Amino acid sequence: MKNSQIAIIIAIAVLIGYTLVRLGNSSTYSSFDQATAKIGEKTTVIGYLNLEESMDFNPKTVQFSFTAKDKNGNESRVIYNQPKPQDFERSEEITMTGYATDTAFIATDILMKCPSKYNEQNEINSDQIYK
Amino acid sequence: MQYVGEHLWAADLGRGLTAFSFIFSLLATVAYYLKGDEWKKLGRLAFRLHAVTLFGLIGLLFYIMANHYFEFDYVWKHTSLDLAPRYLFSAFWEGQEGSFLLWMFWNAVLGVILTFTAKDFEGPVVGVFAAVQAFLVSMILGVYIGDMHIGYSPFILVRELSENIGLPWTQFQDYLTRFPNFADGSGLNPLLQNYWMTIHPPTLFLGFASTLVPFSYAIAGLLRKDYKTWINSALIWSFFSVGILGVGILMGGAWAYEALSFGGFWAWDPVENTSLVPWLVMAGGAHLLLIQKNKGGVVPSALFLLILSFLLVLYSTFLTRSGILGDSSVHAFVDLGLSGQLLIYLLFFTIGSLGLLLYRYKSLPKKVKEDAMDSREFWMFIGALVLLISGLQITLSTSYPVFNTLFGPDGFITLYSENKVLSEPIAHYNAIQVPFALIIVLLIGAGQFLSYHKTSKALFFKRQIITLIATTVLTAISCAVLGMWNPMYVGLLWASYYAAIGNFEFWMRWARGNWNVAGSTVAHIGFALIIAGSLVSNANKDIISQNKTFIHEEFPANENLLIHQGDTVELGEYWVSWSGQNEEGIYLNYELEFFEEQDGQLSKLFNLNPRIQLNERMGNVAEPSTKHYITKDVYTHVTYADMRSMEEQTEEEWKNQFDIELAKGESHFLYGKYEVKLDTLVVEAPNAENGPEYIVLGAGLSVKTMEDSTYKIMPIYAVQGEEAQHVDAEIKELGLKFSFDRINYDTNKPVITASEHKEAEEPFILIKAEVFPWINLLWIGSILMAIGTVIAVVTRIRRS
Repeated sequence: MKNSQIAIIIAIAVLIGYTLVRLGNSSTYSSFDQATAKIGEKTTVIGYLNLEESMDFNPKTVQFSFTAKDKNGNESRVIYNQPKPQDFERSEEITMTGYATDTAFIATDILMKCPSKYNEQNEINSDQIYK
Repeated sequence: MQYVGEHLWAADLGRGLTAFSFIFSLLATVAYYLKGDEWKKLGRLAFRLHAVTLFGLIGLLFYIMANHYFEFDYVWKHTSLDLAPRYLFSAFWEGQEGSFLLWMFWNAVLGVILTFTAKDFEGPVVGVFAAVQAFLVSMILGVYIGDMHIGYSPFILVRELSENIGLPWTQFQDYLTRFPNFADGSGLNPLLQNYWMTIHPPTLFLGFASTLVPFSYAIAGLLRKDYKTWINSALIWSFFSVGILGVGILMGGAWAYEALSFGGFWAWDPVENTSLVPWLVMAGGAHLLLIQKNKGGVVPSALFLLILSFLLVLYSTFLTRSGILGDSSVHAFVDLGLSGQLLIYLLFFTIGSLGLLLYRYKSLPKKVKEDAMDSREFWMFIGALVLLISGLQITLSTSYPVFNTLFGPDGFITLYSENKVLSEPIAHYNAIQVPFALIIVLLIGAGQFLSYHKTSKALFFKRQIITLIATTVLTAISCAVLGMWNPMYVGLLWASYYAAIGNFEFWMRWARGNWNVAGSTVAHIGFALIIAGSLVSNANKDIISQNKTFIHEEFPANENLLIHQGDTVELGEYWVSWSGQNEEGIYLNYELEFFEEQDGQLSKLFNLNPRIQLNERMGNVAEPSTKHYITKDVYTHVTYADMRSMEEQTEEEWKNQFDIELAKGESHFLYGKYEVKLDTLVVEAPNAENGPEYIVLGAGLSVKTMEDSTYKIMPIYAVQGEEAQHVDAEIKELGLKFSFDRINYDTNKPVITASEHKEAEEPFILIKAEVFPWINLLWIGSILMAIGTVIAVVTRIRRS
């Protein structure tokens, strides 16, 4: 067998091996219910901020907590041990990566989507026109 | 209807130029495809006309943006009257349409150059360019066929947008002056108002455009069954591409590091990844061309990598512009609804080029004799293969959103029931890419000491004895200084030094300082330093901001430091104080002073001014501030701050306002601490001087604390007709205030409002500070790699 063919076969084996390993490396998008069903397991929940519930940030402990509603409408308290993100109130959608505990969802990473990010203020609509 | 004040000539001219540019590119494609000199001349003319009309429409778009013709949607969305002229370029390519134009601009420039330089290969090479341009121009065509639209024109008027058609305001002839919305545009996103946005996109898009040249040569070779004559031209262009694309990507990293608070220069964001992958594959392809030129026998793999690099640029375009990345990236474009068109573009070239390669595969020249294990070409081939695998791994991991769209719960074929996502992307990519990087730098080093055909073992080791010793000593010193002993990291650092020193030694001793090969030496040293710099600065990154005032075991070690105004607190080896904030335009600047301790005395070292951009469009954004030393960077940004002014923050406040209704003799338990009793209600008789309706009421209250001390106070309420006056009573010792608010006419009882004093809080901010050691290696490496590729390209052009 030729050397280069051996190299290619090894390379393909590495790629396949990696793909199999990767399957274990990924987590899934879930709802709060699904997250609570597997306590402690890493997952990602996409939800919205519930502005009716309180939002607390303690700068001394750097703990931020809020209540989020997932796409199925289930609510959960979320604890985020990072400074409160700028303009959190304005977020339209929040992608929270973390794990559920029996009392709250502990987010290790938060990505927010702001409504105005590119679009909203960027459109002239008739409401604005007649203001 | 005739509208007042519109510049319809610009709209007509712009759309006309777009249409002509599109038609010329189609014409060029067809004419170049047909054989014969006449057709070739026609193709050349058509392509150049395509370029001229394209430059015309780009110029026109600049013109209407510079002159603020706000009736145009693109102008309204991306500029405003107060936009500084130097940001006009940034505004131009802020949107999808403008960035497509930027890409087409470079394609056209390169294509026109090729009409002069490609000689015999002009037909098929520029023909491929014309076809690519036809697809790209169609993205800004803005033509409707029934309900389906082809492209999105930058010359569309606001009133012509589909969501505005038929709205009442479009019925006014003078809508431009009648409605104030049209007086000014919404402007360029403040986040993009910096010089990086002016230089990074054009460089990156030139890099993207440059991948098309080797691709076109590969296609041309396949069409003509010629696998020889074009190799040298493609080689020069592929190294040009490696250089420019590399610089473009690194500029993005520098931007992220300098001006955005991503906390580093590389975050493995999908948008970053999909621009890195074509570079990796192009670097592999360029080296395969080098083998082909010097030794031969790698035509099939060289063709595959050159083709793949361009296809991956298209895939990147599809990912970032179709909206498919949605949840997983912070900086993808907004979806213009072009995903269908983008997909056709991607599939056309993927199926076309890979199909052609497969169709021709049998007739491709193959290896006559197998490469020896001790030859340079064998290990260069392995290197190219590793670059390819590394690129494919990044592509697979970045493509989760695509897999979810195809096979997820809402996909075309449901294979799994929950959408998948990478849980720790940065750790994931680092874990897999570090070994790849190690192999690559090892090969870059070792390859220098190998000859083409074969190398004797004795010679291989004899050549590099100094390198091996120097590398090992330097690695040992570095690791001891840094305290970095992770075997993988030590290995990678050793290999990077080995590559850098090995290239230098080879060039000095064996190439005798020959400038003809200096390009590869400098570029390789640059690449090795980039790897070493990324490794050392990231693996030994020291987060020096640890909050020491309160750490509870339940909370993870905190990476944020709380600083009260005027305090001086310890921060790693420094002391830092925050003197205050000032507002400057759209920025809130925070003044941090850094000190070092010497014999119990603090001496000032430097100032840093991290800031927060008050960005109405994207939300406030923290911008870091960095102190650059030769051996390290001190990088800070504000992670939390009260956005109010200093005066507002320090104002005293009353909180927990609470209304109590008391009849005489009644008492109420307040705040769980005090007993408030209405002892008496004093009513002063009307005073003749002030008129008959003037009444003064006083509520005689006694407030009893838990410690049994009693305070007596009397808040006053004075009424004259409709007007009322309050004289509040305060108990300073308890921090309580009582106000006689009114009489409840239903119950006839006085209503007392109690409130608790809130201590005036000293203003504070949270900052995060990190030290990146030796990050300058990364920047020096970037510059060397750029210089090296320039030398390599220039010497090769001279030689040919």
